[in-house]
Amino acid sequence: MDVQHEKPADEIKRLQRCINDLVSVLALPAMWSGGEPSQILHTFLDALLVMLQLDLLYLRVNGPASEAPIEAVRVAPSNDRTARPQEICKAINQRFGDDPLKWPPVLKTSLGDGNISIVPARLGLHGEIGVIVAGSERADFPGQTESLLLSVAANQLVIGLQEARLLSEQRRVASELDRRVAQRTAELAQANEALHLQVALLQKIPVAAWTVNPNGTTAFVNQSWLEYTGQTLEFVRSSPEAWMSAIHPEDREETARRFWDGIRTGQGFTMEVRCRRLRDGEYRWHLNRAVPLRDAEGKVLRFVGTSTDIEDVKRSQENLRRAEERTRLIIDTALDAVITMDVQGTISSWNKQAEVVFGWSNSEAIGQQLSEMIIPEPQRAAHVRGLRHFLASGEGPILRRRIQVTAVRRSGAEFPVELEIVPMRLGSDWVFSAFIRDITDSKRAEEKIRESEFNLRQLTETIPEMLWSATPEGVIDYCNARVLDYTGFSAEEIMGAGWMKLLHPDDTGETTRVWMSCVRTGAPYRVEVRTFHAADFTYRWCITSALPLRDQQGRILKWHGTIVDMHDWKRAQEELRNTQAALAHMTRVMTMGQLTASIAHEINQPLAGIITNASTCLRMLAADPPNVDGARETARRTIRDGKRASDVITRLRALFSKKNASTESVDLNEATREVLALSSSKLQENKVVLEVELAADVPFVTGDRVQLQQVILNLLTNASDAMSTVDDRPRKLLIKTEQDEGNRVRLTVQDAGVGFDPETAGRLFDAFYTTKDEGMGIGLSVSRSIIESHHGRLWAAPNEGPGATFSFSVPRGHKAATGADSIRAMQKPAMTDGA
Amino acid sequence: MMITRSLVSVVDDDESMRESLPDLLREFGYAARTFSSAEEFLGSDCVDRTRCLMLDIAMQGMTGPDLQRELKLRGQQIPIVFITAHRDEAIRERLLEEGAVECLFKPFTDTALLEALKTALRVN
Repeated sequence: MDVQHEKPADEIKRLQRCINDLVSVLALPAMWSGGEPSQILHTFLDALLVMLQLDLLYLRVNGPASEAPIEAVRVAPSNDRTARPQEICKAINQRFGDDPLKWPPVLKTSLGDGNISIVPARLGLHGEIGVIVAGSERADFPGQTESLLLSVAANQLVIGLQEARLLSEQRRVASELDRRVAQRTAELAQANEALHLQVALLQKIPVAAWTVNPNGTTAFVNQSWLEYTGQTLEFVRSSPEAWMSAIHPEDREETARRFWDGIRTGQGFTMEVRCRRLRDGEYRWHLNRAVPLRDAEGKVLRFVGTSTDIEDVKRSQENLRRAEERTRLIIDTALDAVITMDVQGTISSWNKQAEVVFGWSNSEAIGQQLSEMIIPEPQRAAHVRGLRHFLASGEGPILRRRIQVTAVRRSGAEFPVELEIVPMRLGSDWVFSAFIRDITDSKRAEEKIRESEFNLRQLTETIPEMLWSATPEGVIDYCNARVLDYTGFSAEEIMGAGWMKLLHPDDTGETTRVWMSCVRTGAPYRVEVRTFHAADFTYRWCITSALPLRDQQGRILKWHGTIVDMHDWKRAQEELRNTQAALAHMTRVMTMGQLTASIAHEINQPLAGIITNASTCLRMLAADPPNVDGARETARRTIRDGKRASDVITRLRALFSKKNASTESVDLNEATREVLALSSSKLQENKVVLEVELAADVPFVTGDRVQLQQVILNLLTNASDAMSTVDDRPRKLLIKTEQDEGNRVRLTVQDAGVGFDPETAGRLFDAFYTTKDEGMGIGLSVSRSIIESHHGRLWAAPNEGPGATFSFSVPRGHKAATGADSIRAMQKPAMTDGA
Repeated sequence: MMITRSLVSVVDDDESMRESLPDLLREFGYAARTFSSAEEFLGSDCVDRTRCLMLDIAMQGMTGPDLQRELKLRGQQIPIVFITAHRDEAIRERLLEEGAVECLFKPFTDTALLEALKTALRVN
């Protein structure tokens, strides 16, 4: 070829250049050492393009089976072809196909607007690594050296790539190794730390923890256990049951049994035992649990266990249980029916009292609708509405307060109850507790009380007495209508401290003082106070009194008082006192009056004669002719009657003349005769048949003659009066005197009258006791005092037949009482009896 | 003249009355008879003739009022003037109610006596 045509100098140059190029090519791998395959490819392409003065250079390197081949294209910088590398690659791949063995050694082709010679060079023996395609527009391409260079370069590239690949692989393996080592190291470090932590945790965990070998010997116990029990690790490891020395002796046998059961079966165990706490020697309940730790084949490696002090839990559980029990007991023994209901209205509890009240047993009631069990049909809808309203709004007008409603028993009977419903939050739901009391009885009692209160109020308002009441502090809180009527004040005016307005101004100070003192001490209150009387605008004397009403502890609950108008009584009392003072005098006067009547009668008889005779006398003298004889006779009669009158006066003088000389010797017979003479007309008028038996030998007595005669007259008058209605027998009256035993003189007056009832005999001598229509009942009383002042006695006895006998007996010749004594004696009964 | 004189009978247990009254009555122009007791009067023949009876109240045996009742029972309508020494208005009232013409308390004046007699005879 063209080589023959070269000159030897050119030939040499060409060869030199070829050798240079060969050296360069051979040096490439050294340059590439340690480089990346992509870098190798690029330097290779650049170097070869320049070295062979190519227009086009294409390179394809097959990667590993999974990777796409690497393609690269170089075009000479002077070449102005516009074909782009991708198009070139595509064109080359079309011309040369996939199988490098079938490629022609040189291919003349047109690329763009010019012809180009293309030469492939296989990478690897069979092109398995890739292909290099060199192209040049030179016609002589490729020359011999160019082919040589191309194939050498291809070999060098393969070597370089293989080295680079090897290196890259080595690096990859090394870095992977490093990564793995680092990772493992980190893992180990982490594991180590976790282990430390776990150990520390296990040691310090506030629960006794331990591990046991499959044969039952102790492998590990933590610090908590050792500190709790005071055992040492050596001790615990000394025998499988050593740790059990901390267990309560009573629990030890059972503990050992369960422990060995758990170990043998490989199931572990759970038991509650009492462990002794070193700190205070107290045995406390512990929960001991152990679970097996197994390997992949399920073989037990260890048992891991804990021992937890549950004493406090257990105790609080016990307390809770007791509290619950107590609550249940309280609720069951409660007087109220206690029922709870949930938000659906379902009964969730039903105590004993509820069973009693409603008649449904606990088991019947629980789970039922409350409304259907105890609420009367007509009210059920309202109950349901109320419940819904509360759940929706949180409002319930009947909740948390006592209300009275009607409930229904199992029998269907309706009855009144007092009910309080208390809603309680339990978690997110509401529970309603109902406390129900059957108030049938109390309702009835209430009715009764109301009725009795009404009656009492009616009584206090209609009773014709003035009533009032006051608080324990002394504040008036009630006055009945009588008080208001009497005083003319309104209730409002009197209430509180207004009652003082009712009192006479002079009395308020003292009354208030006494009242406050009573309020303080609880002493009965009683004052006489002038109280305003509206009817006549005066103050009238009233007795106001009050007593405290006390409770069982003696505390004053109330004062109840009355006001009694005693104005008239008080005045009457004063009058009575005055009257009494004058009564003795009056008695004497009255007695004298009776005497005076007798005296008048005795005197009027002769006086009538005198006046009649005198009148006749005057008329006779005045006649024409005068009847002188007749006049003389009448004048004589006048003188005679005058003398008769004079006799009467003489007798009277004898009766009264010595009345002040109250102590004298008295001839009782003579005194009796005088009385008889003076009362004969009266006795006659009453048709009394008088018998007189005066003993001749009766001694004189010492005393007040007039007073004794008063007594005799009184006895005669009584006897006569006692017979005034007697018509079926003689009105016989016997008066006699006689000597009595023990130097006494007795006078007896016996009548045949109506007599007296033995039952009233004791009262005969009471002042003002009388059986007569007109009598004052004072005679016998006075008589007895007179006789007693004469140291004698006066008595009465019923007769065997009809009538009564009155007698007195006085000592003879005894030194009689003084006049003053007598007067006092007369006054005494009237004073005392009337007081 | 004497025959036409009206008879006044006096019944009184007091002797001085029996002595003194008839003379005065005669001075007045009446005929007079005296009796010491009611029984005596009833037993006499004067009952039918008596135009006025002067009668003491308190007497032994039958009293003045007793006699008054007795006469009424017998259908004798003799006007009665009671005379008594016991001054008691209550008794006087009662007697007047029973039909007595008058009741004079001793001592009485001649004019009072004459008044009573006139009244009694007018009634008669």
